[in-house]
Amino acid sequence: MEKGHSIQISLVILLLASILVISSNLPALAHKVIIFAWVEGDTVFTESKFAGGKRAVGAQVQVFDKEGKQLLEGKTDNRGKFSFKIPKLTDLRIVLTAGMGHKGEWAIPESEILEARGVSEEKRSGEHSQPTAAGLSKEEIKDLIEDSLDRKLRPIVRMLTESQSKGPSVNEIVGGIGYIFGLMGVALYFKNRGKRRHRDNYND
Amino acid sequence: MHISEGVLSAPVLVTGAVLAAAGVSVGLRKMDYEKIPQVAVLSSAFFVASFIHVPIGPANAHLILNGISGILLGWLCFPSILVALALQAILFQFGGITVLGINTVNMALPGVTCYYLFSRLVKRERGLLSPAAAFACGFLAVFLSGILVALCLLFTEESFMSVARLILLAHLPVMIIEGIITLFCVAFLARVKPELLGGIYGKGS
Repeated sequence: MEKGHSIQISLVILLLASILVISSNLPALAHKVIIFAWVEGDTVFTESKFAGGKRAVGAQVQVFDKEGKQLLEGKTDNRGKFSFKIPKLTDLRIVLTAGMGHKGEWAIPESEILEARGVSEEKRSGEHSQPTAAGLSKEEIKDLIEDSLDRKLRPIVRMLTESQSKGPSVNEIVGGIGYIFGLMGVALYFKNRGKRRHRDNYND
Repeated sequence: MHISEGVLSAPVLVTGAVLAAAGVSVGLRKMDYEKIPQVAVLSSAFFVASFIHVPIGPANAHLILNGISGILLGWLCFPSILVALALQAILFQFGGITVLGINTVNMALPGVTCYYLFSRLVKRERGLLSPAAAFACGFLAVFLSGILVALCLLFTEESFMSVARLILLAHLPVMIIEGIITLFCVAFLARVKPELLGGIYGKGS
């Protein structure tokens, strides 16, 4: 069949393309940028990446408050990082513009800043508190726990960033192709139904 | 070349959506029973092409394949590309739903343009004209897409020339590779299935 032939050829092309994709191990893609931010003490750290893991270098970062007023702006360094002191206690909205129409956003709620700030303030006041003779004061114990938790959690935070910036998996891509062929089936069904109805009417 | 959500202003988005709707409706009107599988296959090819990135040059650019879609599908590349972009937006958050229209226009309109420019030339059996036209088709489609994206960003980023230069430079390797891919596809189809080239509609079915 002529038509069958053309579809076969196209399928072969598609198959080759899929193999190429799968074998190329889904490298970094510039479709999407992600900015990830977290608070430590009174400083906000951000990391910006393209989907797939390539760092967004020299991209513009703007920080807005709750009302949408711009508080500050800066550029990411050559590791995609940018950090700033919290200018004011409010919900922060951090917007990354990586050029060519790429944009990402991250929000930090006020509560998160308060929590982080609370920790550092306690730390400061903890310095002044005298340790009791019996050993460590309550504040010191708290400090130690906070410190070690921060250290222990940092890799997990990093892992979360990485998993967020990972490109789509092969399953998802194959699934997407499946959707397209499913839609083709639906389209064919409706076209065919219209055709058959037309033919039936004609025969009557 | 997927423009992210929240970059463009409302008038640009609305214009894009209206143009895309017009293009898609023209495409759907021209789509008949036999063309549906072809549209779906090229839609899948477009869908997959976005995952093949070209590791040459200053930016991570990926294949687009809108030239080959355009020359094989004509106006039908509008619905074809719309479906692929919609799925990319839903599944992977590439682009987005509000920018679907403008992204579709940015990719599909160059395809249609290339169809009108090259579909006759590509059919030539002898000489270097057909391969040259095929290469130009793949090359020009990406080039025009870059220009369109730069035009869209004109209203948000300061200067058209710097954005356009950035995008076109980043996509220069992609243009060349797409030109070569289109060249080989056309040569292959000309040998095994010449009816597919030059005029998807108007040959009767």
